[in-house]
Amino acid sequence: MRPLDPRLLRYARSARAYVALTVGLGLVMGALVVAQALLLAHALGGAVEHGATLASLSGTVVALVGVVVGRGLVTAVQERFAHRAATRAVAELRSGVVGRAADLGPRWLASGQGPAVVTLATRGLDGLEPYFVRYLPQLVLAATLTPGTLLVVLGLDWVSAAILVGTLPLIPLFMVLIGQLTQGRSARGLEAMQRLGAQVLDLLAGLPTLRAFGRQRGPAARVRALGDAHRRSTMATLQIAFLSGMVLELLTTLSVALVAVAIGLRLVSGRLDLVTGLAVLMLAPEVFWPLRQVGAQFHAAADGVAAAEAAFGVLDTPVPARGTQACPDLSRSTLRLSGVGVRSAGGLTPAGLDLELVPGTVAALVGPSGVGKTSTVEVLLGLLAPDHGTARVQTSDGGWLDLSDVDRRSYWDQVSWLPQRPVLEPGTVRQLVGGRDDAARAHAAALTGLDGVVAGLPHGWDQPLGTGGAGLSVGQRQRVALTAALLADAPLVVLDEPTAHLDAAGEQVVLATVAALRAAGRTVLLVAHRPSLVAGADHVVTVHAERAAEVVA
Amino acid sequence: MSTDQTLPAGPAPVDDAGADTPPRGTLRRALRLLEVPRGRALLAVLVGTLALGCAVALAAVSAWLIARASQMPPVLLLSVATVAVRTFGIGRGVLRYCDRLVSHDVALRGMTTLRTTLYGRLAAGRADATLGLRRGDLLARVGADVDAVGDVVVRGLLPAGVALMLGVGTVTAMAFFWPPAALALALCLLLAGVVAPALTVRGVRATERRAAQARADSSAAALSVLDDAGPLLVSGRLDSRLSAVREADARVAAAVDSGARPTALAAGIGTAATVLAAVAALVTGVPALRAGLLAPVELAVIVLTPLAAFEATALLPAAAVQLQRSRVAAARILALLDAADAPAVDMGDAAPEQTGGGAHVLHARDLAVGWPSRSPALTGVDLDLRPGRTVAVVGPSGIGKTTLLLTLAGLLDPRHGSVTLDGTPLRMLDDPDRAARVVVTTEDAHVFGTTVLENLRVARGDVTPDQAQEALQRVGLGTWLAGLPDGLDTLLGPDARTVSGGERRRLLLARALLAPAPLLLVDEPAEHLDPATADALVHELLDRPTGWDGRPRGVVVVTHRLAPLAAADEVLWLADGTVAARGTHQQLLDGTPGYREAVDRERVAVEPQERA
Repeated sequence: MRPLDPRLLRYARSARAYVALTVGLGLVMGALVVAQALLLAHALGGAVEHGATLASLSGTVVALVGVVVGRGLVTAVQERFAHRAATRAVAELRSGVVGRAADLGPRWLASGQGPAVVTLATRGLDGLEPYFVRYLPQLVLAATLTPGTLLVVLGLDWVSAAILVGTLPLIPLFMVLIGQLTQGRSARGLEAMQRLGAQVLDLLAGLPTLRAFGRQRGPAARVRALGDAHRRSTMATLQIAFLSGMVLELLTTLSVALVAVAIGLRLVSGRLDLVTGLAVLMLAPEVFWPLRQVGAQFHAAADGVAAAEAAFGVLDTPVPARGTQACPDLSRSTLRLSGVGVRSAGGLTPAGLDLELVPGTVAALVGPSGVGKTSTVEVLLGLLAPDHGTARVQTSDGGWLDLSDVDRRSYWDQVSWLPQRPVLEPGTVRQLVGGRDDAARAHAAALTGLDGVVAGLPHGWDQPLGTGGAGLSVGQRQRVALTAALLADAPLVVLDEPTAHLDAAGEQVVLATVAALRAAGRTVLLVAHRPSLVAGADHVVTVHAERAAEVVA
Repeated sequence: MSTDQTLPAGPAPVDDAGADTPPRGTLRRALRLLEVPRGRALLAVLVGTLALGCAVALAAVSAWLIARASQMPPVLLLSVATVAVRTFGIGRGVLRYCDRLVSHDVALRGMTTLRTTLYGRLAAGRADATLGLRRGDLLARVGADVDAVGDVVVRGLLPAGVALMLGVGTVTAMAFFWPPAALALALCLLLAGVVAPALTVRGVRATERRAAQARADSSAAALSVLDDAGPLLVSGRLDSRLSAVREADARVAAAVDSGARPTALAAGIGTAATVLAAVAALVTGVPALRAGLLAPVELAVIVLTPLAAFEATALLPAAAVQLQRSRVAAARILALLDAADAPAVDMGDAAPEQTGGGAHVLHARDLAVGWPSRSPALTGVDLDLRPGRTVAVVGPSGIGKTTLLLTLAGLLDPRHGSVTLDGTPLRMLDDPDRAARVVVTTEDAHVFGTTVLENLRVARGDVTPDQAQEALQRVGLGTWLAGLPDGLDTLLGPDARTVSGGERRRLLLARALLAPAPLLLVDEPAEHLDPATADALVHELLDRPTGWDGRPRGVVVVTHRLAPLAAADEVLWLADGTVAARGTHQQLLDGTPGYREAVDRERVAVEPQERA
């Protein structure tokens, strides 16, 4: 784990100002800590050795009060802006990751990175907060306060500085040694710990089932036994995990003790004056303080750093080059898939698919589930580059243009796509379906059966719907989306299993919609499994898959 | 506590908004459930205090050593101090290590006890309390809640105890030297240990209250972009969705910002208090030195000791936040326990009329079913079941078919009417007795993270591998079993994430078939299966209602497939919250137009697959 990844500053702009602020505050804090030690030593030395009065120390006391206020302020300002920087940086990374992931397309999202990105984009990046608030300031202090105080100590008393310099490198050395010694053991322990924890939860989760069979009594003893085993394995892990903390504390306190004893012995022999001795005594722990804090906050910050690295991984993934050619008018141009195959876990889905979408006709894709119907749609829409074969559109001069060379926006503006689960924006029903005027809307709604749905809504057409069309059933949402597809004048309409969530009456609605679309001269691609729908198509294409075993053969 | 208080009448949301301010004493009640032994807790506090006490003593002795050394006494006089300095240096590290181990052990023991208690009381308490657990992520939360209550020991109570003891100890020791400095130290410790934590809690609460919704919105918006990336790209609405993510994150930032002010103030106070205590000791100590009330060496001790005395209080703001979070978690756990312990509503059941001599006849009369605190989903249900008889229940989703099965199995109390088993109301039977005679398997029944065989043995502890194999064959999982790497000994992942939906359903069915109970209630055994397999499965269940021992079973099947229902003795056709029609498959075909249409639709829908 890199303590401060330069990519963090590149991808999260708000982190830059924060790091600059933290460095500035770290320097001020270092100066205040040194000032505090020197002022206290001066006052104490004067009083102890020369019996100075409070009046003669008034200047020092005033300066010390200034240090009190100053340290309080610096800490408060650091804390104040740490949270702000953390939430902003998380927000920047989150929208960056989500945007890039969406841009990389459905295939990339499905390729094993998907679940990780979902975790990242929802809660994973929140782990950066402890990194920003607790870890980073201490890291900066370790880089400013530690060498700064060490220099001051060197200026005051080179023997103490030598002791500190001698013990400082022991800290990373021992940490690495202990880390290597315990790594295997703690990883095994952690695994056992998590397994036992999961088993207890499994029993709790299964309690209703055990009850249904009247067998809930026996496992109670097992819950306790598992809990005890979990405790033992956790304690075994902790015994090792806390070891590094102990060594860190031992090293720091012992070297401070060493410094104190060395100072004392030289004071006795008169080789050192009291003020210097006191100042060094107060400064010695400050040399170690940031290092101890970095060690203590390391684990809390590690999750966030790992999440950030995953986010950088996504952001560093290059987006494939996009086409730039304007898309031909789809109301006159044919789309053609030739020999299209898409690789998937199960082999090729689809395999060797030929499909021609002639303007003004209705084509249907059929085949059992998992055969690659949706992948075919994604290839046709240019969301997915086929592994085999080509996806092309005819140009006005009769030539063929590969879809990957086409400017996606100019293509997609001519497409109306109804996915299996329709996506609705927040808005009123009227806004969602669009359409020129009320008459057109009413006509379309009558066809799709949306009129019945609207009649049942408390606010009718002005009913606001939430994200995903909350408050409507999937079937009702489908009617909204169908109406919107009917009213939009995109020349190509893609309907992916439009009857999946509809009953027999709903099926009639889809039939009528398809008929209306066709009458309007629009091209329709249906992904269907009901015979009634397939019957209404001009041509039917059966999608086939090639299973992994066959591919090998 | 009366039933009315534990079961809210309306559909009260069980979210954190309501639990934001749990009643007083919530945490104390939950802590009692941890049954933390007083001795162990005291030991943990003692060791923790000694560890940090070593640090304070180290500072004091170092100050004494240096101040005394400057007076150039014989070196021998200092040797005790030099030894003490090293001892405290080692003691601090070693004792801190012991403290962390002891306190974690205390907490883990408490969590085990709490989990066991929770399990035991949920197992013995009202069935509907545990049934409610299945909905949503309540159970995942129970696990996290137990952890949160345990955390309060390590991160909340023990640090507070250590801070208190160390503070009192340091102030008392200081008072021996110079009481005014001790007073100043006490005030500064209160500032850092009471005022700062209180401010932190205020800040964190303000943030959590305002940020919770925004965080959820941000997650949901990000998720919807990832889920629907393709459609959003094509329709050109991706940017507006992304700005929704940004907008929600901006609200999170604003909420965090508003809470950061008191938190920042608290951090500043914590740091300033340390230096202030030293300065106060200096200001009060110098005149005392002049007046001869204080020796020069003692002045060095009282000024430098406070600098090491704030290590314990520095943990208290975080401890206070933990206390607050744990209270909310404790409130949820207690609510669950209260629901399980609540006495059943008195329905004025008659005493058992007569026992049917083990005939195992289940009668439901004028039954209304529904979850407590909601209106009944289904009313007016009559149903008779005896071994050898099969009943199919069909109807639209959401009408309450699963609720009906749970009520017929005695896991939910009837909202009206009665369910009797051989004349005894089901609710009068205890769990093992009831489960020995009637068993339900619902679609969300749990598959345990253990072997296939052990999962089947949930139904009956003495299922032999042969019987298991036969049951799996019968539900059409023979080839599945043959394909498993270790056969019956194959481990299934927690909650069976490694098996498909259809396999899971059939595994649950096989388990139900292995149960000793003569009456079997099965919920949607054929979902996620293709029509042909589904029909074969339901037909088998209805046509040959026998258990693993070959003896006849009484079976109620809830299903969405109508084609195989000719094999059922009776079909209940549910619509509009009641039984719309009942009879044999043929009778319903002849007399109920809605039923006939549904069967026709189903037949048409199957055809393309058959053609393909």
